Amino acid sequence: MSHNIKILPGATVCEDCTLEGDITIGGGTVIHPRVTIIAEGGPIIIAEYCIIEEYSTIIHKKSDQQENPPKPLFIGAHNVFEVGCKLESPCGHIGESNVFECRSYVGVDVKIGSGCVVGAACHLTAPQTLVDNTVIWGSEHHIREALEKQPSQLLQLDFLSKVMPNYHRLRKPNVHKRQSSTRQSQEPSPKP
Amino acid sequence: MAYLTQPDYVKYICSCGQLKPITSLYFCRHCLKIRCGFCICHEVDSHYCANCLENMPSSEARLKKNRCSSCFDCPSCFHTLSTRATMAQPRQTPQDPAGGDTKVESKQPKKMYYLSCFNCRWTSRDVGIPDQPVASGGWPERTNPFAARVNQLLDYYKAIALQEKQEKIERERKKFTIRGKYITLTDKTGLTGAMARNIAGLPSSDSSCSAIANFVPSQASAEVEELPEDYYTKEVNLNQITSMPQRLASPEWQPVSVSRLHPLAKLLSVKRSQRCRVCDHNLTKPEYNPGSIKFKIELLAYYHVPEVKIISHEPVKAGEKTALLLKLTNPTGHEMQIKLLQPEDLPPPEEKEEPKSIEKSLEKSLNLEKDTSSYKAIEREPQYSVTSRVTSPPTALTLAQRDDAAEYDDDAQHDTTE
Repeated sequence: MSHNIKILPGATVCEDCTLEGDITIGGGTVIHPRVTIIAEGGPIIIAEYCIIEEYSTIIHKKSDQQENPPKPLFIGAHNVFEVGCKLESPCGHIGESNVFECRSYVGVDVKIGSGCVVGAACHLTAPQTLVDNTVIWGSEHHIREALEKQPSQLLQLDFLSKVMPNYHRLRKPNVHKRQSSTRQSQEPSPKP
Repeated sequence: MAYLTQPDYVKYICSCGQLKPITSLYFCRHCLKIRCGFCICHEVDSHYCANCLENMPSSEARLKKNRCSSCFDCPSCFHTLSTRATMAQPRQTPQDPAGGDTKVESKQPKKMYYLSCFNCRWTSRDVGIPDQPVASGGWPERTNPFAARVNQLLDYYKAIALQEKQEKIERERKKFTIRGKYITLTDKTGLTGAMARNIAGLPSSDSSCSAIANFVPSQASAEVEELPEDYYTKEVNLNQITSMPQRLASPEWQPVSVSRLHPLAKLLSVKRSQRCRVCDHNLTKPEYNPGSIKFKIELLAYYHVPEVKIISHEPVKAGEKTALLLKLTNPTGHEMQIKLLQPEDLPPPEEKEEPKSIEKSLEKSLNLEKDTSSYKAIEREPQYSVTSRVTSPPTALTLAQRDDAAEYDDDAQHDTTE
C-alpha cells in the first residue's frame, strides 16, 4: 500500500508512522513518529511547513458519493496537528495556519478555513464550516473569532527538523520536484 | 483516603448539624468536637497573587482593589494570560499607533511583548493594545468612566460613617437617656442607607462636613438614548458580542463587543486561618509563604476521627435483611472504642445558652461592634431521612491504633529476616 507516498525534499518524516494510500508530503513539513495518515478515499496532499505530532490521525474517508477520480484532501501550509488529534475529512480542502490542539476531533463534513484553532479535546461532529480565524475552545466549545492568523511555528519547525534526525529513523525524500522546493523561498525566520 | 473525585457516600455529622464528608471537616482538639466550614471563624492571613506568588499586605491589597499589578487574566476565557515575545518587524510600525517613536530609535529588530491566552488564543493585539517594550508591567490602564462619581460616593459614605461614629460617642455619653423613640434607634445604628441619606439631607444637621453638604444625589431620568436605526434589521454576529460572564468580569466597563475586551488584572487569593468559635483555638493555620501549601496547624478530622468506608452492600429490599460491610480505620496512635448507635440514640446537642432578658439582647443588638453573637457556634440537630434500619452489633468494637509500619512493604522485610 505504501508505495504511493511522495516525500518532497526538506520534509522530515519519521519511519515509525503509518502512511497508507496516495500521500504527498510537502517540503519543510515535520511528521513525528506514531502518526497515522490513511488516504483510503483519495489522495492526501500535505503542503509545506506543517507539524504533525505524535498519535495524530488524518484519514481521508471513503464516502459513497465519491467522484471519479477521487478528489484529493488538500491540507494547506503551516498547519499544526497536536498530539492525539484526529481529522476525518472527505471535504477536499483545509486552509493554512490552522491549529488542531491535543485530542481534538474533526469529523466528516466539517469545512475548515484558514487560521482556525480547534481547541484541546474539542469534538466537531456536526456538518459545519469554520470561517477563517475561528477559535473553538473549552469543554463547552466556545467560539470566538481571532483578529489575525495564528503565528507560524517556523522556529519550532527549524528545531524539529534539526533534532528529529538525531533520535529517529527518517524516511528519505523520494521526489525531487523542482518547482515546489525552489519557488518556496524561505521566509526569514525570526530569531530570538 | 477519602474520595476525591467520587461522590461522598459516607457523611459525618458536624457539631452544627451539617452532614459533610470527612475531607471537609475539622476536629477541635480543645473542645473535642467535629467542626465544619460553616461553624468556624475564617480569618484572612495574607493576600497573594496565585500566579506570581507575590505577597501583598492587606492595606496594599485594598489600595489595589485586590488585584495583582503584574498578572492578567484573559477577558475572554478567564485563564491566566502569558507574556509572549516577538521581534518588532519594521513593516508593522507604521500601522502601530505608538510606532512613530519606536521606528526612530530601533533600526535593528527589537523585542516586543504582548499578552496571549493559551486557552482561547486571545491576544492583546486583538483589541489593539500596542506591544510593550518591557516584559512585565507598563500595560495601559483604563480609567473607570465613573471614577469621579465613585470617589464622590466613597467620600460621602466615609463622611457619614464618621458622623455616625461621633453621634454614637455622644449617645454613649448620654447613657441611653432618650431611648425608646424609633427614629433615634435607627440613626444610632445607621442601619439603612436610606435613613443615612435622610440625615444627610437635613440642613439642620450640625456636624455635616463638606463632603455631605456638596453631595448631589443622582437623578433618574426618563430620557434614554435612542436605539440605532438598524437595531432590528442588522444581522447579529454572536462572535462579536461578549457573553454575560465576560461583561460581569469587568464591571466598570461592561464591554458589549469583543473588540473592547481588555486584560483583567488578576484577582488576589488569600491564605486564611480557621478558628474554632467556641474555644478560639486555631484549627488550621497556613504557612506564610504563598508558595507553600503546608500548614503550621492542621486539625483535620481525617487525623482524629475514625474513617468509615462502605466496602460492599447488597441491594436493599423492603422487609428483608441485607448485608452491609463497613471498614473502620483508626487514624490516631491510640486504641479506640467504637459503638454503633441508632440515629435516635444520638445525644442531643447541649443547650448551654441561658435564656436572656429581652432587654439585654436588645442592648446587645444595638452594640453592633461589640456583638459576638455572630461568632457563637450554634449546635443543631442533624436533619436526614432514614429509609432503612441498620441492625448494629451491640458490643463495642476496639480499633487498634494506627500501625505506621503497615505502610511499608512486608515482603521486603521477609527477605531480610529469612
